[in-house]
Amino acid sequence: MKYSEYINRGGKRKKASNETSSKIGQGAAPKISKDLKQMLDNIERELGASPDLTIRHVQIGGEDPLQAATVYMDGLVNSVAVNDFVMRSLLENSVVTSPDMSRVPEEILQFILNRALELGDAKIKSDWNDMMIAILSGYTLILLDGCNKAIVGDTKGGEGRSITEPSSQLVIRGPKDAFVESVNTNISLIRRRIKSPKLWFEFMNIGTVTNTDVAILYIKDRADDKIVDEVRTRLKKIDIEAVLESSYIEQLIQDKVFTPFPTLYNTERPDVVAANLLEGRIALIVDGTPFVLILPTVFAQFFQSTDDYAQRFDIATLMRLVRYISFIILLLGPSIYIALTTFHYEMIPTPMLISLLAQRENVPFPAAIEAVLMEIAFEILREAGTRMPRAVGQTVSVVGALILGQAVVEAGIITPVMVIVVALTGIASFAIPAYNLAIAGRIIRFGFIIVASLFGFYGITLGLIVLVAHLNSLRSFGVPYLSPFSPFSLRGQKDTLVRVPMWMISLRPHKTKNADNTASIDDGLSSSGKDGRTDA
Amino acid sequence: MRGPKIGLLQFFSLTLLFELGTALLVNVGMVSGRDAWISILVGCMAGLVIFAGYAYLYKLYPDMPLSRYAREILGKHLGAAVAILYVVMFMNTAGRDLRDGSALLVMATLHRTPILVVGALMILSCAYVLHKGIEVLARTSLIFLFLALSIGAIFTVLALLSGEMEWKRLFPVLGDGFLPVAISVVRQNYMFPFGEIICFTMLMPYLSNDRKGVWVIPAAMLLAGLLISYTSIVNITVLGSDMVERSPFPLLSTISKLALSELIQRLDILVVMLLIIGVFFKIAVFYGAALVGISDLFGLPYRTMIYPSALIILFSSILNARSLTEHLDEGGQLLSDVLPFFTIVIPTALIIVANFRRYRSASRPG
Repeated sequence: MKYSEYINRGGKRKKASNETSSKIGQGAAPKISKDLKQMLDNIERELGASPDLTIRHVQIGGEDPLQAATVYMDGLVNSVAVNDFVMRSLLENSVVTSPDMSRVPEEILQFILNRALELGDAKIKSDWNDMMIAILSGYTLILLDGCNKAIVGDTKGGEGRSITEPSSQLVIRGPKDAFVESVNTNISLIRRRIKSPKLWFEFMNIGTVTNTDVAILYIKDRADDKIVDEVRTRLKKIDIEAVLESSYIEQLIQDKVFTPFPTLYNTERPDVVAANLLEGRIALIVDGTPFVLILPTVFAQFFQSTDDYAQRFDIATLMRLVRYISFIILLLGPSIYIALTTFHYEMIPTPMLISLLAQRENVPFPAAIEAVLMEIAFEILREAGTRMPRAVGQTVSVVGALILGQAVVEAGIITPVMVIVVALTGIASFAIPAYNLAIAGRIIRFGFIIVASLFGFYGITLGLIVLVAHLNSLRSFGVPYLSPFSPFSLRGQKDTLVRVPMWMISLRPHKTKNADNTASIDDGLSSSGKDGRTDA
Repeated sequence: MRGPKIGLLQFFSLTLLFELGTALLVNVGMVSGRDAWISILVGCMAGLVIFAGYAYLYKLYPDMPLSRYAREILGKHLGAAVAILYVVMFMNTAGRDLRDGSALLVMATLHRTPILVVGALMILSCAYVLHKGIEVLARTSLIFLFLALSIGAIFTVLALLSGEMEWKRLFPVLGDGFLPVAISVVRQNYMFPFGEIICFTMLMPYLSNDRKGVWVIPAAMLLAGLLISYTSIVNITVLGSDMVERSPFPLLSTISKLALSELIQRLDILVVMLLIIGVFFKIAVFYGAALVGISDLFGLPYRTMIYPSALIILFSSILNARSLTEHLDEGGQLLSDVLPFFTIVIPTALIIVANFRRYRSASRPG
């Protein structure tokens, strides 16, 4: 869909909800004036006489020139485009090519658009809101005296970050480009990878103040139409002032709010988005952030990485298993240690038990307190390290990990084994490719520490049952979160726990028509619709 | 019945875990001594025959739970009374299983934790899972079935490699004739755990494939029978029938004898995990069946009665019996005297009345 069309849709949507929230132009109609001076005054007033608003007066026509003006925001437009195409066509082309120009301003405007203006994307607009959004989006307005319409020409430009290597999801082998903050550049990155007419996208305008562009991308015939519709309805329901990051959208359209688990995947890698689109998923690109949302998402997706497909299948399978195991270590490491040492020490081989008990002799705290203290210390270290300037970051890790870890053992506050356990869980949390899933694991780990310290393995097992039930109750746009494990699907196993050789994988989504699956998806959508409303 | 449907594989795993539940751990069929494994298999066959009756009723009323077709068949008032009886029975059995499980846990690992706390944790977990829905319970069972089966595999490898198994302990097969086996079957084995499948009559309407789906339940029952029988064989070959008879939880004693050199020994905790998983799903299924019955009988939303029922089950588990001995004694009586009434007498009556009604309405002119 073209920009101009969605701007129209946006305008309509706004008019419908105009009563409830403040808009760029209240009472749109009176602001538009036939008188050029009046009109320019209105625009200046509306934008608070902003210094970057540039108004350039021109005169069109030979003997009895017609007053005209171009309006644009300096810094949002590409000045080369404005100078070369807009200004030149107004000043030169219209004069040269119009010996018998009609004197009716409306017709002149039409003439400029059709015969003179050297811009690809230009439209006539008569709505005040549309004009305002256009100016603020980097378009150039051409106004004529005596005409209440304006030409809106696409001269978008301005400074943006250029495409660089991804900062969060690094790979050893694979494409090195990452998304940037501009939605158009991001779409082009995907289009370059999937040269198919079936790759469709739609624009939406979300945020009553920020008017952020959100693009829905999918491959027609591969993505489930029902889910695409559901995405549209959920996005339309969003009523928020500002969208500054895709996480805003994520939190407003996810199926369930009260869960630590992410039910939408985010990535800054175009190749990941392309692969997911090919598998029939839908991508949401939000202007102003390099992080693109992918949905529907299942649990197993958070353990996949681009590397898996760049390496041989056996190596990739090994890597997968390592990731799953590290998630289990992350969840259960400290709690199993606590359960073993406090409740089930008979399970530990005797020589080891003796050495463990000898260590514990000098330590004042029970294992549970030890674990909680150490884990909290570790979390503080990690939080401190995240936002440190790079020069200081090393100090944090040296002081934190080496000195603190050693001193705490020598002071007899914590046992050395506990330091090992905590360090292992800490490292395990980094082995999971998706940062937000690792956070979920870190939160739940504390719950397991508590039940393990109270009930030992009994608590851990019940905790696991409750955790799995919770995961089972989650859905992402109607798709069960734990699929293809449960409900079990043999075909789905090709790319989850193991990765089979490439020739066995087909990207095409298997829309199994068995009653089981489709019923549950429908059911999930209808029930999540309710949830979605309360969320948004 | 409306609401989410449960896929065949999920239903299979739920049935299997339900059947294995406590039966893997407690002493099943020990009246028949070293032939316990035969009595379990015979009990399983009897259970399959009983299930055929439930399947027949299900074929007649594929989208109704037992509590609804009881009213359909027996009329509003009598049917409602029967349905209430079933709900009470389900809750009571859930309470009994809760007591079984928590008593065992207190005995095996949590020596100083009050039994009420152990039970409360268990029933709260059940309540949480059921709050998410029966479908979630079934899908969760699938994942824990994998866990349970892998524990079983570890157990098997350990039993084979440790060299503790002595096959001659199984012989002579049927040395005392068939009579002890028959007594054991009649007193216990066809009811426990196979007759307890009655509570699935409340859940069968959730089956996603109602034409052909029913076979997954007898399949799961058969597999469960084989697995329980197999466990019994391992117990007897490792411990000898004498020790098995005297042990309240033979599997626990068996696994503590199995060891691979110094490194792998005392894997009791795996058995305890198996126990927790099994008890959990057993309680949850009974509890869920009771909830479906309540919501169907009184027209209440399914979720409103979850926590009140949890309280009832928790306290009935504590107050049913003053001691574990009394509890086990009551259990034996229930199995031989009360349960057959629910699992055989009432369903048979339902089948007869239903057929009689159909016959009458068919033969009536017009």
